[in-house]
Amino acid sequence: MKYLRVILVILFFVVHLEVMAGRELNVYIWSEYLPETVVEKFVKETGIKVNISTYDNNESLYAKVKLLSNSKNGYDIIVPSTYFVSKMRNEKLLMEIDQAKLKNFKNIDEKLINKPFDPENSYSIPYLWGSSAICYNAKYVTGPIDSWNVLFDPKYKNKVLLTDDAREVFHVALKLLGYSGNETNPDHIKQAYEKLKTLMPNVKMFNSASPKLNYINEEVIIGLNHSGEAYMASLENHDIKYVYPKEGAILWMDSLAIPANAKNLEEVYEFIEFLLRPEIAKEISETIGFATANKAAIPLIIEEIRNNPTIYPGKEIQEKGEFQDDVGDAIVVYEKYWEMLKFDH
Amino acid sequence: MIKKDLFRPFTILLIISWLTIFVLIPNLGVMGISFLTRDEANFIDFTFTLNNYQRLASEIYLKVFLKTFSVALCVTTICLVISYPFVYIISHTIKNKSTKDFLLILVIIPFWTSSLIRTYAMMLVLRVNGLLNSFLLGVGVINEPIEMLYNWFAIIVGLVYSSLPFMILPLYTAFEKLDHNYINAAQDLGANKFNVLTKVIIPLTKSGIAAGCILVFLGTLGMFFIPELLGGSKEILIGNLIKNQFLVARDWPLGTAIATILTILVVVLMVVYARNTKDTNRYQVVV
Amino acid sequence: MNRLARLYSILVYVFLYLPIVVLIVYSFNASKYGTAWQGITLDWYKKLISNSGLISSTKNSFLIATLSASIATLIGTLSALGLYRYKFRGAKLFVSVVYVLAISPDIIMGISLLILFNLVHMNLGFYTLLLAHITFNLPFVIIIVISRLRSFNRNLIDAAKDLGASEWVVFSKIILPLIMSSVISAWLLAFTLSLDDVVISFFVTGPNFEVLPLTLFSMTRLGIKSEINALCTMIFGVTLVLIFVSHFVFRRKV
Repeated sequence: MKYLRVILVILFFVVHLEVMAGRELNVYIWSEYLPETVVEKFVKETGIKVNISTYDNNESLYAKVKLLSNSKNGYDIIVPSTYFVSKMRNEKLLMEIDQAKLKNFKNIDEKLINKPFDPENSYSIPYLWGSSAICYNAKYVTGPIDSWNVLFDPKYKNKVLLTDDAREVFHVALKLLGYSGNETNPDHIKQAYEKLKTLMPNVKMFNSASPKLNYINEEVIIGLNHSGEAYMASLENHDIKYVYPKEGAILWMDSLAIPANAKNLEEVYEFIEFLLRPEIAKEISETIGFATANKAAIPLIIEEIRNNPTIYPGKEIQEKGEFQDDVGDAIVVYEKYWEMLKFDH
Repeated sequence: MIKKDLFRPFTILLIISWLTIFVLIPNLGVMGISFLTRDEANFIDFTFTLNNYQRLASEIYLKVFLKTFSVALCVTTICLVISYPFVYIISHTIKNKSTKDFLLILVIIPFWTSSLIRTYAMMLVLRVNGLLNSFLLGVGVINEPIEMLYNWFAIIVGLVYSSLPFMILPLYTAFEKLDHNYINAAQDLGANKFNVLTKVIIPLTKSGIAAGCILVFLGTLGMFFIPELLGGSKEILIGNLIKNQFLVARDWPLGTAIATILTILVVVLMVVYARNTKDTNRYQVVV
Repeated sequence: MNRLARLYSILVYVFLYLPIVVLIVYSFNASKYGTAWQGITLDWYKKLISNSGLISSTKNSFLIATLSASIATLIGTLSALGLYRYKFRGAKLFVSVVYVLAISPDIIMGISLLILFNLVHMNLGFYTLLLAHITFNLPFVIIIVISRLRSFNRNLIDAAKDLGASEWVVFSKIILPLIMSSVISAWLLAFTLSLDDVVISFFVTGPNFEVLPLTLFSMTRLGIKSEINALCTMIFGVTLVLIFVSHFVFRRKV
């Protein structure tokens, strides 16, 4: 018994040392959104220990951050989509960013700053943007793939993947019904729900964590996907293609933000400065296939990627597509029908 | 001298305080919150309501409950049917003690292995270009791979796979306690094999059957990551529903209402079990 | 034993082990996504060893497992003793509560603790995880030790008391040594449960303290990758070692 007590005391001592030691940074980011090589470079340069946790949709991010808002320390950096930036900003979940500390902020494309969701970018810094559109395996899928309607074709029964994201999936149905993807009218959302019910027999699975694996493994042959995931999939399996539907793709942008109860402020600013470097932004964009918000990085990016319409869609695609926007309180309506969609099919 | 007087109250106080702080209070909290209202900003608003339970009684949620109970029942039955003969064979037909020990360890290994790992392993076997399909295609039984993953089949297989040791071990304990003399006596009296089984063996292993069934049934009810991984995030069972309320939809009162119903179910099952197994092996548990 | 019976039991073992064997074999597959067999490689293991996030998760998991198992065994053994030796009001109720806790779905404990920690504004992180793990390990420790105590020879205790031993001496010099193998088994079970726990950790851990099962869970949610196979195989290996250790300890039991 005596030895046990001694051992416990030593253990607690060790624990305290472990837990209190060293500079740390707690990152909460989309899965597959930060290449390991980039993190390694940062760790090597600064010696800061980086703890990465991931999420795969904004609702989970929001729920976790809210949960932690009662704690003394939350995550140090998060990467919400634009429409969640405004929501979190209004609920005082974010900390104001001191742009004076970020010399590299000037590298960001001016077209992307000072947007309505965060005027003067007091709370967010654009990170990556991209689209969600139709991804398919050309070995099994033929014929013109030009509309969201293709997903509803009965010949794709149990072969479709949808991202595990309420807003994106509803966007598909809303567009087909002629509404905006940022619809707030509950009746219209309900109609979208009814339409999506007819899609469910085709759906094999929902995955937002890493849909590319399901396409590479040929577990699904057509469905929704994010631009970067589709690009990475096409590298492994050349039959995988990405195409923009005529109704318009879903466009989104994710920004770096600092939760109000972040602890390691000095480390966070160092990290953001690091990410804003043109060479680093270039590496990120080239590795994971999403478009960087960093204008200074663009000329550094290799041509095949810079001109790849999957990663950097041209003007017409951008204009036909629709950027995701905050829907305010209507998000509860979306979430309700999303849950119903999942259990009543 | 003082130690003698302190030791007894100390041990009692220790367990009472721990259980009070970390079990009683949180569970009271769970039940309490189930009667409050959801609040967008602060998770809960202290307004009393029976709304949560009313919502749960609506068709859509009842469907989820029904689905979950059917799945749990199905999994329990399959586990029982697979395990009973298996345990009978191991326990009764193998005489060598060290062989028996070894065979038992082989069962314990999966029991101690993380169910997450075993579920992931099952994914490797069931997927379209996985082992099972490759085998069936190679042998010529099928022409095209069968979809065995991301559907109910996979979920049930996965749940059975994860729960099997929980059925085998209590059954094994019960079988080990079975006195051979009863079987010998019955056979001496002329009972045929079927009667020996149904009139002697099964009743005498009743407590093991009940323990195994309860463990598997309750274990299945709370699972959320197995249906998520094997079902492609498509199917929602009670476990996923609860998890969603806390980590996505932020409706704590609804989540706690579901949890309360689950807790009541657990307690009821335990009471029924305790009442019906009055022998001294009442609290026989797997070790 | 007749053929059919033998075949049947072998089939059951095959069912139990096939996925694990496939997992181990495929962890050496040179193909990144494990579709076709592309030759043997140790690449994935090498990658794991150099993955610092994974190493830190593993360290965290072992730390929590060791601490929570030790504390739970300490408290649990004393409690089991108290419940067994001392007839106090509500003892029976307590034992029942302990059993209910042991078989209740983890998710209920997960959310109840989350609510508790939120209510007292406690920082979610190492300490909340530790408290949660101790709490879910306790019922198992108590059950194992009580089971062992029930078959304990009371005469030894009576004899000791006749000779004038105090409660503490009775416990430390008589009861404890004799039930030691059960206590160690309980520790090992608690250690394993803590190491493998996904559900409860999912709800109560914080941003700066990631544990192995959660890292594994986020990896498996991505899909099937050979790197994950290697990680699972390594964890499985550790479990095997623990089981053999526990079996040897058990064998020495009276």
